[in-house]
Amino acid sequence: MNCQSCSEKMAELADARLDADTAAQVRAHIGGCAECSREFGEISRMLAALDGLPQSPPSHRLRAKVMGQIETEKLTLLDQAQFASSIRSAAGGRPDGRMAWQRLVVRAIGVCAVLAAGFALGERTATQRQLADLRVRVDTMGQLVEQSVLQKRTAGDRLETVLTAARSQVPDERVIDGLINSLAFDPSVNVRLNALSGLYRHSDQDVVRAGVLACLPRESNPLVQVSEIDFLVAAKAREAAPELRKLSLDEKADADVRDSAKRAIALL
Amino acid sequence: MLAVRDGDLDSMGELFERHHGPLFGYLTKLTGNRAAAEDISQVVFQRMLKYRHTYRDEGKFTAWMYHLGRRCAADHFRKSSSAPVAVDPADLADHPDEARSADESAVARDDHALLHRALGRLDRDDREVLLLSRLQELSFAEVAGILECSVGAARVRAHRALKELRDHYLQIQKEKHT
Repeated sequence: MNCQSCSEKMAELADARLDADTAAQVRAHIGGCAECSREFGEISRMLAALDGLPQSPPSHRLRAKVMGQIETEKLTLLDQAQFASSIRSAAGGRPDGRMAWQRLVVRAIGVCAVLAAGFALGERTATQRQLADLRVRVDTMGQLVEQSVLQKRTAGDRLETVLTAARSQVPDERVIDGLINSLAFDPSVNVRLNALSGLYRHSDQDVVRAGVLACLPRESNPLVQVSEIDFLVAAKAREAAPELRKLSLDEKADADVRDSAKRAIALL
Repeated sequence: MLAVRDGDLDSMGELFERHHGPLFGYLTKLTGNRAAAEDISQVVFQRMLKYRHTYRDEGKFTAWMYHLGRRCAADHFRKSSSAPVAVDPADLADHPDEARSADESAVARDDHALLHRALGRLDRDDREVLLLSRLQELSFAEVAGILECSVGAARVRAHRALKELRDHYLQIQKEKHT
């Protein structure tokens, strides 16, 4: 071992982070080299001094601020969950989503059984791929929406997740809740419009119509308001008539929104 | 952190209690400024909360935390656009060991002040690699992961930084005596 190599390992020797063989080699070199021995003494003292620098705790403000952030985040999640839950209650419990979900699970079990039989017959690779696809479709989509849409990411990330969810053919309850929550809470108009677009294919469900209707009075952007009105008309949501009437008479609302609301009342 | 990722936000409080001390200590030495270290620590925990869904169960949580810490500190330095001035021992709030005599405490305080000054003279990159390499909870492989370099490169950089620190320390000591 030369001096350069020995020098590079001194800190780790002092920290006892070297393996036994290397440590023995470094020690042997230090024992026979006055220069390295002196350097090792200095390095060890420097490390001890560095590690011995006192650490005072931060002020209580840091704890207060971080705990405040955690509580705020919890309230935001609670708000979103309660919104989704209130929509489901308003739509009369969880009939559509729940039934669809149960049917989906039964169907998934059936498909798994068929795939398992294929596996037994030796189609191992193909079956594993299909099983993986199935898991992605059935199990992951809900988590994806729940963890990505409802939590704060960049608008681009949220949009991508909403677009993925919007393409989903599976009427997963969590996917639908995620899209409704995005429509209600997302700060980006683009994300809200795409969430609404994703809800079209589920517009036959009561919970979806109730969700869009509940979002309408919360909405402040005229473009999204008009799109929501169009959705309610397309979904033949007659229960939206009182809300539309109110909107059509609201002088603070945008003129295009009022006109759309009037047209919608006539159509419904 | 896995529990936090899965929606158990109360666990975030536990993570804070367990890890904020070492993180704050590291950032205080890195920035040389307690107020900045507090601000950056807050941003680190804020980002943990915000990006919790991106946490993967690969490697140690502390390595992820210091990775975020490094990014947040870099943002801080970019915004303040000035090199950190490390060296006001009063600002770093030394707490002398009460068991020591007054003389010993005074000597220790002097040594700490000197070392803080020496740290302040290091380049930020050198100070960063050196301080990360002194964290007992991180292996060199994890330090290398945080710095996005090879383990060998991290070792060499830490070694050079330590020698730089020693040189600055001895130089400041000499300046003091002359």
